[in-house]
Amino acid sequence: MGNQEKKKRIGVYICHCGGNISDYVDVEQLRDMMDKEENVAISKNVMFACADSNQKEMVKDIRENNLDGIVVASCSPKLHLHTFRNVAQRAGLNPYNYVQVNVREQCSWAHSDHPDQASVKAAGLIRAGIQRVSYSEALEPVKIKAIKSVVIVGAGVAGMRSAIELARMGNEVFLMEKESRAGGHVAGWNSLYPTGTSGEELTRKMLEQIRRIPSIKLFTSSHVTNVTGSLGNFTVEVNVGSHGEEVLKLPAGAILVTTGFSPNIPDEGQFSYGLSESVITLPEFKKRIETASGKLNIGGKEIHSIAFIYCVGMRQSGGPNKYCSRTCCTSTMHASLELHKKFDDMKSIHLYRDIRTYGKQEVLYDQASKQGDLFLMYKEKEPPVVTVEGKKVKIEVTDHLTSKRKLEVKPDLLVLVTGMEARDDSKQMAQLLKIPVGNDRFFNEIHPKLRPVETVINGVMLGGSCQGPKNITESIQSSMSAAAKINALLCKDSLEMEPIVARITEEACTWCGKCAEVCDYDAIFQMETNGKVVAGVNGATCTGCGICTPVCPVDAIEVAQYTNLEIESMIDGFMAPVKLEEKLAEAGTESSAGEGLMKEYPGIWKEILKQIEAEPLTIPQIAQQLQQESQQITYHVMTMNKYHILEAAGMDDDHAYFLYTPKL
Amino acid sequence: MNQVDTAFSKELAKYGASDFAACYNCGNCTAVCDLTEKQANFPRMFIRYGVLGLKKDILKSREVWLCYACGECTKACPRQAGPAPYMAAIRRYAIASYEPTGLTKLLFKSNPFAILFTVALAVLLGFFLFTLKPDHDVSRWIFNWMPFDVIHDLGMIIFGLTGLALVIGVINMMRHLYSGNEKPVFEWKKVPGAFRYVLDEMALLKRYRNCDDDEEDYWAGKPEWQHPWFIHWSIMWGFIGLLVATTLDFLFKDPSLAIWWPSRILGTLAGLLMMYGTSMAMWYRIKKVTKAYEETQFSDWMFLVFLWIAGFTGFWLEVAVAISGHSVLNQVIFVIHTIISMELVILFAFSRFAHAIYRPVALFSYYFVKS
Repeated sequence: MGNQEKKKRIGVYICHCGGNISDYVDVEQLRDMMDKEENVAISKNVMFACADSNQKEMVKDIRENNLDGIVVASCSPKLHLHTFRNVAQRAGLNPYNYVQVNVREQCSWAHSDHPDQASVKAAGLIRAGIQRVSYSEALEPVKIKAIKSVVIVGAGVAGMRSAIELARMGNEVFLMEKESRAGGHVAGWNSLYPTGTSGEELTRKMLEQIRRIPSIKLFTSSHVTNVTGSLGNFTVEVNVGSHGEEVLKLPAGAILVTTGFSPNIPDEGQFSYGLSESVITLPEFKKRIETASGKLNIGGKEIHSIAFIYCVGMRQSGGPNKYCSRTCCTSTMHASLELHKKFDDMKSIHLYRDIRTYGKQEVLYDQASKQGDLFLMYKEKEPPVVTVEGKKVKIEVTDHLTSKRKLEVKPDLLVLVTGMEARDDSKQMAQLLKIPVGNDRFFNEIHPKLRPVETVINGVMLGGSCQGPKNITESIQSSMSAAAKINALLCKDSLEMEPIVARITEEACTWCGKCAEVCDYDAIFQMETNGKVVAGVNGATCTGCGICTPVCPVDAIEVAQYTNLEIESMIDGFMAPVKLEEKLAEAGTESSAGEGLMKEYPGIWKEILKQIEAEPLTIPQIAQQLQQESQQITYHVMTMNKYHILEAAGMDDDHAYFLYTPKL
Repeated sequence: MNQVDTAFSKELAKYGASDFAACYNCGNCTAVCDLTEKQANFPRMFIRYGVLGLKKDILKSREVWLCYACGECTKACPRQAGPAPYMAAIRRYAIASYEPTGLTKLLFKSNPFAILFTVALAVLLGFFLFTLKPDHDVSRWIFNWMPFDVIHDLGMIIFGLTGLALVIGVINMMRHLYSGNEKPVFEWKKVPGAFRYVLDEMALLKRYRNCDDDEEDYWAGKPEWQHPWFIHWSIMWGFIGLLVATTLDFLFKDPSLAIWWPSRILGTLAGLLMMYGTSMAMWYRIKKVTKAYEETQFSDWMFLVFLWIAGFTGFWLEVAVAISGHSVLNQVIFVIHTIISMELVILFAFSRFAHAIYRPVALFSYYFVKS
């Protein structure tokens, strides 16, 4: 290391991004500048570097000019790093001899009000990129062999369903359940929308299926106590039996977390909860509907009118549960419909904040309102006031639909619609697996849209409502996608992993253990080589975070692609003075307004200037005179304002719009 | 504090408001209504009152009587909650609630009772009608235990009670109208204006005419004499005309005055007008020409049918008198005419007919709110 030969034939591509970059950064000047840089073989401008045609041209360039490194100055590597790595690979160049420089997010977008400065910064960053690529090493992915088994934590609907799928795809599955029976919350639920199947039946069928599949091992009353290893080769320690009689060490290529949720329990006294038998939560209420027959008796009296207060403990703008629990509106509607089906002479009164029976579940809302349910909206700041006296419940609420009239509701029963919360023990699970939790205390995925079931720990996936409130359909959808994702990893003979990991210079290492101490991923271990005790790195576990490098007293550890040589050369590249040609003088003939790097105004700008030369005008006036949409004119006037081509000069008579005048 | 009464919906259903629970308060009905105003917000608000069971708000409202049931709201309702039939139902509810004896409630809520009661009353009236023929066996038998004076006085008492029920009904209505916080301030100097407002409205049904002046409406392009407002106007003025003519006849004590006599001419014209109005109203209801005519309650039918029969038999008799026929048929027709007319008068306070009093009172009161 450190003695690599510098690359001699580097290709530089500076992208316009269709104007996103080139409107502010002088890409042509930069191209000329980079062409003169040492070791740069070709330097080009491209309208869209990521376009197919351009990718093909890059491949051609690399082959024809025998390039040994490429730099693309375009957008964030988050967007196109892999695009251009693939380009390099297709051209026969090692993908790690490619460096992406982000001149869009870091220059043109960030400094659009100082285009000249943005160009200077871009020049520095591109030079740093050229330096970095000239010292870049050709790397090969870390390959590991994966164990084709999965540990699923939690045997609710999500866990059971994904267990079946993973087993069908040829994996061994260990399904852990904390409780003494599988099925989770759903097993205790009655008729489910829209099929009418009971939760008990649904879970029983899945369980029967699981029992028929020999490659699924279900452990009830089991607790995960420790997790070691990494993707492809985890070891999950489990205590089985209510007293932890048996300790198992299960091998797992991946872990799927489907631990589910906890129903939210209101505080004592919140809406009089706990003060009367006539105030219960929705889950309690649903149980009562299921068990009762003929007449509904709760708290020692016959029930005919039920008030539901929604969003209890949820959507708290001031409290910890800021989220909407999504499922409770539907669940309440469903309960109200079941109630009317099962018992005579019932009346439901819904005290809600917003009804969110999204998707097909809207049908339930429609049915509930058509069966004569009463809906009263309340605001978070003005919640219903509940007072109880023995079995009697009185609710005071403001009705916004009758000019904020104060109303009094005296239902036989008050049901508090509570939602889903993260489980209390999710914190321990997060610690065991080293996966992050969000502010809402649910487990966090890497990216809610792009990688919705993966966690930052390779090989640990999320399914179901441990990730946030979900209904059964959504829980199973997410756990199945996690199962597919897991299988995609484990089905290969060997797993390829990013080679950007820490490595040890064994000659220098004296094994002080400091690096192992700081490593969050247990990736560094002690080993003996050639009779010397040194540190070793598990390439499969290491994430390349780099925390180990600064703590090493002898500088014996570094991260590939971030070697001292590369970083130092980048600093040198960045610090080299940049001299941009002054373009102001060149373009100064057109108009005297401060133009920055603008060579010529667009036609519409000239027209706008012509309009406001005689007298200051507002945007609607300009739009009218030019017979243009005022949104269009707003856009242009705002841009011109930004470039100090025009400025606001007071307001119109109605004090509604700014007047604009050319800035001289 | 207003107590929510969820059972009230069921009560209103008995008065003909069936689907209003489906209302989700979008307010389309109020938006399309040509009669709703800043100070008179309906139908949406009133559907909400019904849903919440705020009975007092319904009973103390003028709005109930400002609606002419044109049916625009029902047409615009995205939930098929039927705001127009709902408004009609709360009018029935109001009539039944103001009336003190509770008879109206029974008549409106139970069709079998209404039929039974009307028939029984008809038989009773028919029975006593024999007394017009003192020589008849039945009459002799009646007079045997009930002298003519008693019968006469009894009739007077019954008519008196009807009148009393109406007076108490109006008083009840006024008590409601002037209860609560938002009651209008009564000012003497506004009284003439209020009278003018009511008379204006009665004379040409200005408000009703607003109802069906939409361009894309079913009635657009149709001659005015076919419009619902004119039908209503015909029935109303036809009946008033007949009432006046009958009173004049009664005053002159000689019903067989020559046909050119002014009271007779008035009677003939008014009768024609009423016959036209009731016939058209029934025809529209049978054909269900617009939404407004789709839902007709039994009490509506009964009212219309009675008016029609009264008118028809009246003409029959008119013609019979002119050609001096004295057949048995004519006598039967006479009995029917008299029974129906008397039932109309006796049941005035206990039927849909009562709106003829309550609406002007509400309009009178509304003038003070408006101005």
